[in-house]
Amino acid sequence: MRGLSRNSPTLGEAVTKAAKSSWSRKAYADRHKGELLWVLKDLSFEVFAGEVVGIIGRNGAGKSTLLKILSRIIKPTTGEADLYGRVGSLLEIGTGFHPDLTGRENIFLNGAIIGMKREEIKRKFDEIVAFAEVERFLETPIKFYSSGMYVRLAFAVAAHFVPEILILDEVLAVGDAAFREKCLKKMREVSQQGRTVFYVSHDLMSVQQLCGRILLLEAGRLIEDGEPVTVIQKYLDIVSRAENLPA
Amino acid sequence: MKAISADNISPDNPVGHGPLIKIRAGHSPVASQLRDAWAHRELFYFLMWRDLKVRYRQTLLGAGWVILQPLLTTIVFTIFMNKLVRVPSDGLPYPLFAYAGLLPWMFFSNSVSTSAYSLFNNSYIVTKVYFPRLIIPAAIVGVRLVDFIVASIVLVGLMLVYGVNLKIGLLLLPLLVAQLTLFTFGISLWFSILNVRYRDIGTLLPVLIQLWMFVSPVVYPSSLVPDKWRFAYSLNPMTGILEALRGSLFGLPLQWTAVGISMALTIVLAVYFTYLFCRWEENLIDVL
Repeated sequence: MRGLSRNSPTLGEAVTKAAKSSWSRKAYADRHKGELLWVLKDLSFEVFAGEVVGIIGRNGAGKSTLLKILSRIIKPTTGEADLYGRVGSLLEIGTGFHPDLTGRENIFLNGAIIGMKREEIKRKFDEIVAFAEVERFLETPIKFYSSGMYVRLAFAVAAHFVPEILILDEVLAVGDAAFREKCLKKMREVSQQGRTVFYVSHDLMSVQQLCGRILLLEAGRLIEDGEPVTVIQKYLDIVSRAENLPA
Repeated sequence: MKAISADNISPDNPVGHGPLIKIRAGHSPVASQLRDAWAHRELFYFLMWRDLKVRYRQTLLGAGWVILQPLLTTIVFTIFMNKLVRVPSDGLPYPLFAYAGLLPWMFFSNSVSTSAYSLFNNSYIVTKVYFPRLIIPAAIVGVRLVDFIVASIVLVGLMLVYGVNLKIGLLLLPLLVAQLTLFTFGISLWFSILNVRYRDIGTLLPVLIQLWMFVSPVVYPSSLVPDKWRFAYSLNPMTGILEALRGSLFGLPLQWTAVGISMALTIVLAVYFTYLFCRWEENLIDVL
């Protein structure tokens, strides 16, 4: 995958040319005139089934954009990616939870939104409920849930969704220590089943614990790809160098 | 960059049993987007189910409003249009005439005005998960279609009360409801995407819908329109739909020209707006 970008003006070339609908074309080109910012550029990598790949980098390095492109939420301006299998992206947990619906109803709704089939949700329903520890509140609208219960329920649905490729954005940064440990364990299980996992986080501890390989992004480029210990060291170097620079 | 673990797995020999998903710059073909939307139909049912559940749980009368809204409007128009202005109604009792117009009209106008804000209202999902965005307005039209069917019970009741004789034209009814739904869907798609692009469309929309209602035979018959304006009048697809619906229900003669024009326009517009929506949804995130 190379030269991925978003909101760049010579979107002109890529988007405008293809945009048949003239009414969007002109406005778009006008709005982006004279501004060129490649969020991601010249990066290319291959990931194989069963790998758990961490993606780290400073704020604005392009991590989230990369995940959004792989999740198909945004399109690349240029470049391409091939994904062999169903992609599940959990850029947040509890996407689409509705406060007026009960815990039971939200399990189905959230499951469907993140891409689970109805059958699959039904099959795993009891497991999800047990994992979230919300048995007694299943018929209660979730607006009455404590934030801890909410987060546990949201994570439980996400954790029982096992597509071939799983994309996670800092979703482990929730709940108390015991629950986080439970989540990490669940993630390891997922990867042992031969699923591919992308994991973005600023929490280097969890990245190191979970991932067998790390990609380091800096200013939209892939600058390091390899063993966790090496890459994390490199990342820390970059961070400390940036801090030591005079403003 | 080299991959770390390889074994015998390569992109040419993928182990994943899932489909190959290709992410490319530029537009995906509309046909593949529509196939994708079809593959996500379960989500469509879930979004419909969510809206129905939430609505019926939160309101005092729940399903009652679905019937009350057209019924109360019918009463208002009966008083003002029929009793005061003395608008004719093609020889039918006015309440029956008006209800048969207001019912499909409200399906249409409610769908369009709700859809116009649907992408905003669901932006918390749209920015986090991929699925064909078409599903969002489609689910809204689906919910309104359920309302429409529920409120049709009152129409059946009115027809019994006024002793309407059923005629052969009734066989056209399913086709006409399908046409109404398709037209409603097309216009809903258009306004949902238009409102994201130009946010003042949402402000304009209520006025536009009001105006549209008065250039459609909702609360008065199209026979009131002078002959020289008749053709221009029938270029509004809702004219043909509403007249044909009444004709089919009450055994009135059909204006085939108007019906034909409206069918053709419905198909052209629905296809065009679907195409437009598919083209545009790919840049949606940038403006939402």
